[in-house]
Amino acid sequence: MLRVRLFGELRERAGWGEQQVSHAYALTPSQLWQTIAAELGATPDLPARIRVAVNQQFSDANVALCNGDEVAFLPPISGG
Amino acid sequence: MAMRWRFYPRSVVVEISLHPTPFHPLALLAAWEDALIARTDTAPAATACFVGRVRGHDGNGEPLVALELEHYPGMTETQIEQLAQQALQHHQALAVRVAHRVGRAALGEALVLVAVAADRRGPAQRACTELLEALKHHAPFWKKEWRADGSTQWVQGNTPL
Repeated sequence: MLRVRLFGELRERAGWGEQQVSHAYALTPSQLWQTIAAELGATPDLPARIRVAVNQQFSDANVALCNGDEVAFLPPISGG
Repeated sequence: MAMRWRFYPRSVVVEISLHPTPFHPLALLAAWEDALIARTDTAPAATACFVGRVRGHDGNGEPLVALELEHYPGMTETQIEQLAQQALQHHQALAVRVAHRVGRAALGEALVLVAVAADRRGPAQRACTELLEALKHHAPFWKKEWRADGSTQWVQGNTPL
């Protein structure tokens, strides 16, 4: 299983902030995004403004995911 | 002298806190400086600090009533720690203090405190500026603006320097 997390505007648009997804369902964050994008009515290609984190570290969207990974999709950051 | 920071324990070199309720940035700054003095019997020669607060309007000049900050528990703290360590090493500064508000904050409340201690003003000021900009772009926080009519808007990116 993968732990999938959304934040900010993505979390609000999707109506959820965390879900468990079968690892067989998506092998990379990009593939995972395609299912989330369909739910959001967004383009299947991951927008450049959305960053990916795997196990709470920024990551490439095409990295191979492992069972148990935590994958987060992060809208534009606006801290400070 | 540039490596004096090695004599500080790690918890004093970089001190980070997230605050779900209002915090007083100058009180935190005083406590942090007291801790540094207690370790070395002298205050750092140079300290630069920045305090950011909730402004009363959005980027278009529309009035706001509050600002809400969402973060990614765990990753946010880790990112701040990494960015602070990078700024320390890049500028050979001595110590860093970062405090950041989370949750809903009223107008005028402190959002962020960044303070850097160093042997000279140059490293202190440069490290403080660099760390603040790094936080704004690479520490996972998201701002939601609240207006008087109850409507909200997620902030897209950061305000200009």
